[in-house]
Formats: sequence, C-alpha cells, structure tokens
Amino acid sequence: MVLYSFYIFDRHTECIYSRRWTPRPVSSSSKTARPQSGSSITSNGDATTVARKRTDDEKLIFGLVFSLRNMIQKLGGEDDTFLSYRTGEYKLHYYETPTRMKFVMLTDTKQNNLRPYLHQIWANLYVEFVVKNPLAPVEHPGGIGVANEMFERGLDAFITAVLPA
Amino acid sequence: MVVFALFIISKAGGLIYNREFHTGMNKLSSNDLLMLAGSFHGMHAITKQLCPAPPTPTNPASTAAALAPSPFSNRPSGLEVLESSHFRMQCFQTLTGTKFLLFTEPQQPNIDSMMRKIYELYSDFVMKNPFYTVEMPIRCEKFDRGLDGFVKVRG
Repeated sequence: MVLYSFYIFDRHTECIYSRRWTPRPVSSSSKTARPQSGSSITSNGDATTVARKRTDDEKLIFGLVFSLRNMIQKLGGEDDTFLSYRTGEYKLHYYETPTRMKFVMLTDTKQNNLRPYLHQIWANLYVEFVVKNPLAPVEHPGGIGVANEMFERGLDAFITAVLPA
Repeated sequence: MVVFALFIISKAGGLIYNREFHTGMNKLSSNDLLMLAGSFHGMHAITKQLCPAPPTPTNPASTAAALAPSPFSNRPSGLEVLESSHFRMQCFQTLTGTKFLLFTEPQQPNIDSMMRKIYELYSDFVMKNPFYTVEMPIRCEKFDRGLDGFVKVRG
C-alpha cells in the first residue's frame, strides 16, 4: 500500500494542512516543453520552485474536487456525494464534513474506499486535537494551529495502525 | 444491472453524443450537458497533471521502444473511474483523445468489456460511416440501434 499525500481544506477554499510521503517528480515531459512565464526573473533556486509547485498542487486538487463534487450533484441529485476517483496511477479519496471541510487523500490504485478512515481522522484527530485545543483559533488562515504536535503524532500513529505499508 | 447513460466527448471537449438508457440520474438540459462535458474535459487534464508518481515505462530495455519512442507510452492516464454514492462513471479515452463516459450503478461488474463493445460499435457504425464528419455530433441510426440492442440484451 502506498500513501502519496493528504490534504485538509477549510470552507474558505484554503489548504490548512498538507502532508506528503513521496517527493513530487522533478518535472513531467509536458512541463519542460512549456515555457514558464517569468522563470528567468524569479529563479531563486530550487527551494522556491518546489514550494510553488506544492501550493499549485493544493490549488489544483481543491479546484478539481470542488468541480467534481458539483458535477456529481448536478448529475445524481442534491443528496449524491463524491467518494473517490481513480486514474491509471493513483486514487483520490474524498470526505466532506457537514461544515464543508474537505479531507483528501491520494493513494495507490489498489486501495478500497478510504472514506471511513478520513471520517475517523476528522472525528478522532482533527476534532480532538485542533478544534478542542483552547489555543487554536476558530478559523485557521494559513494553517495556523492545525499542524500541532498532538495532531501530527496522532495522524502518524493512525496511518501506521490502519494502513500498514 | 443498470446502465444509466453514455456520453461521448470529442478531443476538443465538445459533447458529440449523449444517450440515456435508464432513468435514475437528473434530467439536464442540453446546455448543461455541454457545460458538464467541457468542464469534465478540463478536469480530466488536471487529473493527469496531479499524478504523484510518474508511470514506469513498461519495457525500458526493449530495443523497439528505444528506436521508436511512441508518444503514447508511459504518459499518465487521466481519470478512469469516478465513484459517487448514486452512480459510478467509467471514462475510456481512445488514443486519439475521444472520451467515452459510461454511467452505471455503483456495483456494476464488467464495465471494461462493455466499454470495448461500445468502442467497437462506434468504430463500426460511426467511424466507418461515410456521411459522418469527425468531431461533429453523432447522428447514426445504426449506432443508436446497436447500442440499444447491446444494452437491452445485457440488461
């Protein structure tokens, strides 16, 4: 079982937590072929480009799950929910809380639906360690207060317990 | 077994065929369907971009692959199966970029073979039709009838 990445998005479309277990591939063939605008001006080394790609991915994933969810609700009715999609290389699992927070996990394609696990991460880790933390703000702009030690450790323990490598 | 609908999206992202076999999904106006097809075309491209691990070349040492690098080899495939609580959508993209979307019940076996059969019908009755212009909406009676026969027999 391979786990690629995990993201939490709040209801303001912002990514408040992200975690990756594999480095992003350096560049796919389609990316090198395309000229990047302003790359000559802002080339400050690898660190900045990697960081920008990360946030780019987060935005792409949010836009994607948002559009897929809307498409599914249009086709299947208001009470239809988006569960997951699979490509030839990876599978994306999706869980949305009643407060419109979105939990997204990318794994390999052989994984069954991880929605119950995402629900548990929300109920047992996020609510316990982030929402009930008196020092954390109500909203988490920029991810403040989410990636605290308890949450990180709980997430690690949970993942090694339920998703053995 | 229930097959809800079949959409065919051209390589430019236009909806060129839509057919409902069984009620169960929302009725949408043709404008809405066109919009959905266009946005799905974009989402499909994004799912390719998001690929966290590049596909490994199937046979890197083979001489044939080294001599004639195919543009189709080890390119990440886009979205293939989309699951929701009410339906399951299988997307099959041909090498030329045409996409077939098949909407079925969530627990539907053998969608791959159905997809092959539909692609076969498409090749036989649409692509071989001398009056059909590529990338244009599909109006071929034989294709319609073939699909009807196929889906009804299976159902």
